[in-house]
Amino acid sequence: MNPFQAETLTKRYGDKLALDRLTLDLPRESVTGLIGRNGSGKTTLIRTIVGLTLPDQGRAQTFGHDVATLGEAELSRIGSVFQSNHHLSWMTVAGQLEFAAAYHPHWDHSRQKRLMEALELAPKDRVGNLSPGNAQKLAVLLAICPRPDLLLLDEPVSALDPIAREELLRFLLEMVREDDTTILISSHVLVDIERVVDRVVCLDRGRLAHESSLDDLLESFEEWQVTSHAPVNSALVDGFREDWILEQRRVGRQAELLVRTGIQSEERRHAFAQAHGVDVQVRPANLERLFPHLVRETVQ
Amino acid sequence: MLFRLNRHNGIPAYRQLIDQIRMGIASGLLRAGEELPSTRSLSAELETNPMTVSKAYNQLEHDGLLLRRPGLSLVVADIETSGAEDPRDAEFRRAAQQLADLAKRLGLSPTRAKRLLGETMSELNEDDQ
Repeated sequence: MNPFQAETLTKRYGDKLALDRLTLDLPRESVTGLIGRNGSGKTTLIRTIVGLTLPDQGRAQTFGHDVATLGEAELSRIGSVFQSNHHLSWMTVAGQLEFAAAYHPHWDHSRQKRLMEALELAPKDRVGNLSPGNAQKLAVLLAICPRPDLLLLDEPVSALDPIAREELLRFLLEMVREDDTTILISSHVLVDIERVVDRVVCLDRGRLAHESSLDDLLESFEEWQVTSHAPVNSALVDGFREDWILEQRRVGRQAELLVRTGIQSEERRHAFAQAHGVDVQVRPANLERLFPHLVRETVQ
Repeated sequence: MLFRLNRHNGIPAYRQLIDQIRMGIASGLLRAGEELPSTRSLSAELETNPMTVSKAYNQLEHDGLLLRRPGLSLVVADIETSGAEDPRDAEFRRAAQQLADLAKRLGLSPTRAKRLLGETMSELNEDDQ
């Protein structure tokens, strides 16, 4: 059974739809990157998984239990980091961790030690005085050290500097490898989390805009550099009209296209080159360029 | 053999790994019967998701370049007996295709391109001696 599954989830805040008939599973041992713009429903989805937000319609189950009825047995298997975390401000970092460890039989003290060193978190600092970045690190420790089966991270890297981010991603990979943890990690910068993620889910205004493996996503787009044989090429100047071309930028007799690949892509490319009298050079497209198109597609 | 992943070139990590293992086999760095690191240890080394490594291994096994034996680690297949295309030919063909594309872009005739390649190859030959 999947750690989380949802069918036609709908959640409304006033007249705003936060989740709109969302159907989604988190398969076991997968690392899902949850992307989308601000207000696309990422946080609402994560809060729903732990039962902090309940759907108005549809069905959501975590570890096979309806999210409205999650008990200690299920909740103790989940680790979560939210964008705003409330810790005990008068405690020290070490005190807060010790306090939390007392409630978790599987608390991983070795991982706690290594994480604190890697993230450069000082044990004697007062929780209330932590910078936003350090508060984020503490939240990560509190979520990871209990060795959860399901780890939910809402924008965990947003407040971290690049070095701390790399360290965190390294620990996440260790959890996938050693504990078979299922991870959901949200970000509006997919590139930041690309190397730990094997699945990508994109939300747009509460709806599922895209869901696939990261590899399939990368392989379904290409960049083409098109060079016209003739000095003047009207198709190039006017803009190519093929509907699988998502973006085009023209300089002189050259154009750069972002295209969606499909079945028989190679044949299509040859036909395109022939029809327009151009030479086509193919390059893989990187994730930064794809993001706006993932979001835009649901609009149509 | 040392593997390396480039995070920013848009090529899926499993494809990069497949290419490097193919190249390793073609160049003799990986020999028939040699064991490959486990999915876990290679994904730890490359700091990548284990799925990436197992996907690459599965594809190479499907192509007949790697051999999975129940309960044992994955080994490089013996190409002589597996019937797969000699990976050296496959690697060279791929690079040659890029040269052919370049010749076309530059507007070089096939005859001229072949002559230039021939010249380069004979220089290489002299260096070897």
